[in-house]
Amino acid sequence: MPLIRKPAAPPAAQAAPAVDPLAGLAHPSSQVRWAAARIAADAPGGVEALSRALGAETDARVREAILTSLMRCKSPACVDAIVREIRHDDAGRRAAALDAMRAMPDAVAACAPALLRDPDSDVRLLACDLARLMPVQDATRLMCERLERDEHANVCAAALETLTEIGGPEAFASMEVCAARFSHDPFLGFALKAAARRMAPAGERP
Amino acid sequence: MPEGALSTTEGARRRVLVIDDASLVRIYYRDALERAGYEVHEVLNGIEALEFLLERSADLLVVDVNMPQMDGLTFLRALRRQAMPLASTPALVTSTEADGKDIAAALEAGANYYLVKPVAQEDLAACAELLCGAPA
Repeated sequence: MPLIRKPAAPPAAQAAPAVDPLAGLAHPSSQVRWAAARIAADAPGGVEALSRALGAETDARVREAILTSLMRCKSPACVDAIVREIRHDDAGRRAAALDAMRAMPDAVAACAPALLRDPDSDVRLLACDLARLMPVQDATRLMCERLERDEHANVCAAALETLTEIGGPEAFASMEVCAARFSHDPFLGFALKAAARRMAPAGERP
Repeated sequence: MPEGALSTTEGARRRVLVIDDASLVRIYYRDALERAGYEVHEVLNGIEALEFLLERSADLLVVDVNMPQMDGLTFLRALRRQAMPLASTPALVTSTEADGKDIAAALEAGANYYLVKPVAQEDLAACAELLCGAPA
């Protein structure tokens, strides 16, 4: 068998073109934007550029890479950028932002109290879901506060859902207040009874 | 054809798949739909729903919008790209979002009907009958 010489390996620059992390985030090619998104966080000014790019990016794969980079940083600026996505009209973008937040429990603990008092009831509702990542006592107190004060039945329902996972009988007084405030809401009436059964001490469940 | 695909054969109870990450919502819908005579199954998000539907069919999907891993509208777009008859499964979206643009987005994604939460149990049962027929 004749010996065949292998061709010389191509220069690295040809195999993988270098991407300017900041300029690359605005490149017309989604492949270049994706590559830039993966390295931009380490560049000076990268977090700010990633935050801007997250708001403007339309390609789901690139958005995912941006979110992953921001999640790795975990700085307040990164968290702010992800929180902005929770307000987005697009359900897919909200879901991706919430999934990213779930990977950052420390950041959730810091920003959830403010989100739970946000003027937008949709944001408060989604924040109830995030609160289950907080220390149990803090989350229970915040969820009880929603049950007692929030004017939106759906936010109370979300708070109740979280309490069924983390709470106990200490939440019953707040649940009674909620039941009285929304006595004509058929779902909350049903859900409060079901939650109370689930949250009762093991020996006292019907 | 997936196992159980002929759920609409005569004599079989109509099968409803509830897709919602909130456990209290799922048991509330189950209570309403079972009392109306439907067979009810539950999953927690769009990915679990697609997995369920690759194995078994449903006569109606009750779909939440905001769910982890795969939201309801992404699920509906994926569903409508599947082969028939799966792609034509009726879908009722129930969501806390009441803006016209939210309803329009759901209909564009493939919803057949939209109810704003909280949903009364009798409204849910009436919509189920409207979209997939009487329970049996």
